[in-house]
Amino acid sequence: MKNRLRVLRAERDWSQADLAQRLEVSRQSVNAIETGKFDPSLPLAFKLARLFEATIEEIFTDEGKA
Amino acid sequence: MTSPTKNPAQRRFFWRFAIAMLLYVLLLVPAVWGFVHYHPTGVLAYGLAVLPALPILGMLVVVGLYLAEEKDEFVRNMQIQSLLGGIGGTLAVVSVWGFLENFTQVRHLDLFLVYPLFWVFVGISTVVVRLRYR
Repeated sequence: MKNRLRVLRAERDWSQADLAQRLEVSRQSVNAIETGKFDPSLPLAFKLARLFEATIEEIFTDEGKA
Repeated sequence: MTSPTKNPAQRRFFWRFAIAMLLYVLLLVPAVWGFVHYHPTGVLAYGLAVLPALPILGMLVVVGLYLAEEKDEFVRNMQIQSLLGGIGGTLAVVSVWGFLENFTQVRHLDLFLVYPLFWVFVGISTVVVRLRYR
């Protein structure tokens, strides 16, 4: 799933490791989500949204949407 | 099932697994020794024969505990995929081998080899899964 994580991270000058620490997950998890290889669960998506003070839709692109 | 940067669940898995493997060796030696020197029969023979298999069952429980305790959903997902690869690979080999044994002259595959074979396939699929998510 496409997302704006890289941009949101860059805006805050956070590395993948910084974000991983804040989310309490591994850096490889952040990398997999960021590159669209792994879709996070709803709880993790909400955690990301809270962290970036955005909605889930503002972070992730709904590719099924026409 | 390990990673260069181990989280608490992975560390617990490592130690539990190591203890189970140690127990396996500690129980296998007296079992073999008992059969070689005392030729037990009846219930005692069954009990002694099953003894080394108990830590192996323990290892499977340890894997289950790890999956339940792993908080990182992506890592858990990768481990589950690796384990499924291990199960699939093992079932594929033993199924094909079973038919080969029935219809051809291939050597009999001892059942105790199935468990290490499972871990060989888990190892292979761990590499494949990691490469996929690199």
